[in-house]
Amino acid sequence: MWAEEVILNWRDNRLEFSAPRVRFLEEGKPMELLHNAEAVPFGFQITLWSGNRNHIFKTLTDRFVVSYGLWDEKYQVVKTQSPVRKVEHLSVVDAEKWCWEQMAMDVTGIGATEPLWVRLDVRAEDDKGSPLFAGSVGESGISSTSLVELFSRPPRRGQSHWGPYEMGPFTLDELKRSPRRGS
Amino acid sequence: MTKLCCLAIMAAGMLAGCNITDDDEKSAQDLNVNSHYVVESVNLTGARRANISNLLRSEMDGFVGARYDQSALEKLAERLKKELRVPDVQVKVVRGSAPDNLVVNFEIEPTHEHVFDLNVGQFVYHSKEGWSGDGGATVNLHGNAFSFGLVSNSDTLIERYAGIRARYERKHVGTDRLRLRFDFASFHSEWNAATLAVAPEGEIYRDRQSFSPMATVVIADPLELDFGADFARFRVPLPDQTGGEGAAAAKTESSNAVVSTLRYHQRWGSEHDPVQQEANASYSVAAATSVFDTDREYTRHMAKARYKYRHVHNSVEIGFLAGMIHGDAPLYERFVLGDSTTLRGWNKFDLDPLGGSHVVHGSVDYSYRVLQIFYDTGAIWDAPQQREQKQSVGVGFKKEGFQLAVAFPLRAGRCDPIFYAGMNF
Repeated sequence: MWAEEVILNWRDNRLEFSAPRVRFLEEGKPMELLHNAEAVPFGFQITLWSGNRNHIFKTLTDRFVVSYGLWDEKYQVVKTQSPVRKVEHLSVVDAEKWCWEQMAMDVTGIGATEPLWVRLDVRAEDDKGSPLFAGSVGESGISSTSLVELFSRPPRRGQSHWGPYEMGPFTLDELKRSPRRGS
Repeated sequence: MTKLCCLAIMAAGMLAGCNITDDDEKSAQDLNVNSHYVVESVNLTGARRANISNLLRSEMDGFVGARYDQSALEKLAERLKKELRVPDVQVKVVRGSAPDNLVVNFEIEPTHEHVFDLNVGQFVYHSKEGWSGDGGATVNLHGNAFSFGLVSNSDTLIERYAGIRARYERKHVGTDRLRLRFDFASFHSEWNAATLAVAPEGEIYRDRQSFSPMATVVIADPLELDFGADFARFRVPLPDQTGGEGAAAAKTESSNAVVSTLRYHQRWGSEHDPVQQEANASYSVAAATSVFDTDREYTRHMAKARYKYRHVHNSVEIGFLAGMIHGDAPLYERFVLGDSTTLRGWNKFDLDPLGGSHVVHGSVDYSYRVLQIFYDTGAIWDAPQQREQKQSVGVGFKKEGFQLAVAFPLRAGRCDPIFYAGMNF
């Protein structure tokens, strides 16, 4: 089962993800908010299973606060989980790409022929009543725990989300030969 | 420079991982690239600036010249929403006229107008005069409001009048600054024995109707001017038949006047703030002259002022009114003291059973939470030698429009209290 939207690559013992068709900055309410000078947090979660679908090898969550400069018409992205990073003056495509790049996953310890499955999930915190969104604007705090909680339940009604995109089974050997792309 | 940048990012990252305090708000702004820009102007759409308190207005103006702060703007939008009691206030941001400048617009979503609305305007029980009340229904269609109501009132005038009221109103005539309304009323009047005993012949009417087209212009917030006319007709029994069994014969008189009211309303703070102040003042004049083909020629002036100061649960309210009539005004235009809002505790028929042509009155109300105490003083007269200051005090409970009070006239001899109960009086 392969999601068409996501491309998987292996480099230096790391799984890299890209999703050029997932235009989370150029769709719906998040885009409307960004073009209204608001900062919009996006939660990313990637889960990797190894051996079988009952064994989670690793779950990676992160949060990116994106804003769009009304005058320079470029994007700023702040990765808020450790290690914290910030980039500015990006085009929309580059901003989306940068977020996926930060989600690269270390797969040390996984056998080359071990079957793997992966799921990717993106959610915008575009509901002002949500604690995560409030956290981004200084009302209350958020934590990595809240990110996990965020993805442990279905998206709220009206919440912008992309995915989940699921892929597998595949092996690292297959990825080393060529990136896996949805067909 | 790079180190400084990283420190800022780290601070922003920490915000994402722990509770944010006010001290961290500057760092929180690093999350939004637009915080580098300066706010050029702040506008309000969907409501007049005069409708919001001075405090919020000055806070709005305080954003001008400052760096864009999404969090602070959203907090202000939330306070505007509460103060104006509207479904939503949106913050819309666009580029300003100069590079790196932004224009902020607070867009007020209007309250959904109910197509059909029922209301009870006032309802009061006075232990000497009985019940008074009015209620009605309003139909709102495309910015036009049609109201119809029933009234029975023995409180505000020297007569008990009962009947119907109808109104057409348009709140926006091309602009928010101009409103139009047409009022029609038809009342049957009943009289107290004390009034009948002293009323000159030809003053007591049984029925009256009035039609009043009015326009309201917002001169400059918060100053408004009403102007229009009041055309009234009333049936006066012929002199030899007044009060008699066969008093069917009557003549119709008219009282046509041009009327105008200058009104000021200002408030500082809102009910959500610990300190709130509100000031209301008005001056109205009605002039009925032969130009309007009137049977009664008179001029009526009235000035009112009211100031309220609230600090948390304590509030003090000071009221003042003064009025003067020259000429031959019908009884419903004459001033009354001793009702549910003036010289509370006095019986208006003891003070002046015909009403007066001159009045002056002041009151002080103090309340703590629901407990209320008040002091009234005033005088009503026709001739200067009749002028005599009266005073009264009272105590009661008041909560969200509902009120229960007992008031005593301050005078020598017997002192009969008067009880009041009801809402919106």
